[in-house]
Amino acid sequence: MKTWIDSILVSKQRIALPIMTHPGIEAIGKTVKEAVSDGQVHYEAIKAVSEQFSMSACTSIMDLTVEAEAFGATINLPDNEVPTVTGRLVSDAASIAALEVPSLDKGRVPAYLLANKLAAANITDKPLFSGCIGPFSLAGRLYDMSEIMVGIYIEPDAINELLAKCTQFLIDYCLALKAAGTQGVVMAEPAAGLLSNEDCQAYSSEYVKQIVGAVQDDNFTVILHNCGNTGHCTEAMVTTGARALHFGNKIDMVQALNDCPADVIVMGNLDPVGVFKQGDPDSVYKQTKTLLEKTAAYANFVISSGCDIPPHAANANIEAFFSAVKNYNEGR
Amino acid sequence: MNQELLQKLSECVEFGKINLASPYPPNMKGQPGADEYAKEALDAGAQPSEILDELVTAMGKVGQKFTENKIFVPQMLLSAKAMSAAMMHLKPFFASGAVQRKGTFIIGTVFGDLHDIGKNLVAMMVEGAGWEVIDLGIDVKIEKFVEAVQQHPEAVVGVSALLTTTMVNIKPVIEAVKAASPDTKIIVGGAPLSAEFAVSIGADAYGKTPQDDIVWLDTLIA
Repeated sequence: MKTWIDSILVSKQRIALPIMTHPGIEAIGKTVKEAVSDGQVHYEAIKAVSEQFSMSACTSIMDLTVEAEAFGATINLPDNEVPTVTGRLVSDAASIAALEVPSLDKGRVPAYLLANKLAAANITDKPLFSGCIGPFSLAGRLYDMSEIMVGIYIEPDAINELLAKCTQFLIDYCLALKAAGTQGVVMAEPAAGLLSNEDCQAYSSEYVKQIVGAVQDDNFTVILHNCGNTGHCTEAMVTTGARALHFGNKIDMVQALNDCPADVIVMGNLDPVGVFKQGDPDSVYKQTKTLLEKTAAYANFVISSGCDIPPHAANANIEAFFSAVKNYNEGR
Repeated sequence: MNQELLQKLSECVEFGKINLASPYPPNMKGQPGADEYAKEALDAGAQPSEILDELVTAMGKVGQKFTENKIFVPQMLLSAKAMSAAMMHLKPFFASGAVQRKGTFIIGTVFGDLHDIGKNLVAMMVEGAGWEVIDLGIDVKIEKFVEAVQQHPEAVVGVSALLTTTMVNIKPVIEAVKAASPDTKIIVGGAPLSAEFAVSIGADAYGKTPQDDIVWLDTLIA
């Protein structure tokens, strides 16, 4: 994996890695609910995306409920929307103290491990990146997102205990994904982008750092995704030691590149909604080309969507994205 | 005396000191908060309208600091909670009509969508700006918006969505509300939305930040 990362740094060709699986789900005629519940369907969706588009690497479904469900949170699973956590699993120091770190046989974790194992075994011509949630975003789903924002100041000890439990589970989960044969994990930590740099450091990065230390090596890369960062907490993201950082469309990509070390892969950040879903092929092509030109001087840049491309984005738009990358590379 | 209490109340709201028990902010730990100062100010003879004005001004500063990235969501929520704690003491005066609010704002997350942090932020900030807020919650069906507007015909409506799959549900809400009450103004917001999208679905305004909502709402009563 380090070789793949290092090859990006020395290549003149721009790598394209949009985060997407929904076009694959739609291509195989399945619902989102089927894909997030059944490992075989999930794998087939990844495979369909890999075969249909010029992906430099594949990603599994960005589902920010799997881990919370394993802890015992209730989940809303609509047929064709991404799942969401409902209610609140823990609400105070006592319930946090009583919360057990779940084993990896809970909820849909086995289905996700199966999907990753099948994809790693059968898609061998490109790297596969698994997906998981970040520790602060997971804790927010267990404690209630609005409440944890206040909780870090009102009950910091309890929140740190919750974060420690989330981190332990995520280490176990990432190690299982690594054992499944994938080349890394896209860790989605969007809620940390709502914090100041100092709070992001204390309540997210310190815990992400532990996960990175436990799972990242030459064969397994942590790609830390924070689409809530508008530029104010890039410093905290860098301190995690993640070999790759992935940014959302709210950030100035050139500024993000300037704020990150040159040996860290920096990914982003075309608007998944405004560009990929609501745009047309012409506008997608132009915006992709514009971003490529703005970032031409940075060897560590990988062009991507700013977040997961949502359901029902037109294939023609995604093809326009790859076409712009291909044409750009031909001129380099 | 009153002025001093009102100043302290204002500082509590601006810096998020909810009450005596709250440990935040650290430099005000062990001191009374907005809850205690609001009660003390009333007991000392301050007019409820004076207290409301102080809260609105303080929350205005909070909203401005948020817009300028000087504070972030946790600090804004703490300020909003401090404001709510103070506002509890004013409820009897709102009920009796002794204190008037700027208007009524009905808000909810559109049906199919269970996310509430953005909606909560807007609700608290709009309340802090002097409006009565009727929070319909999450996953709010069309009929519930219509019913709320029929009960409060002068109200302004805010509709939120976080998902690309649910943002499209806002349009039928707007159509139903406008059909029932053509003069009702509607503002929409949420991470995947844009000003262009808001126009395309017939909304009267788009709020990128809570402060946008407040500024627009104030234009309606100017």
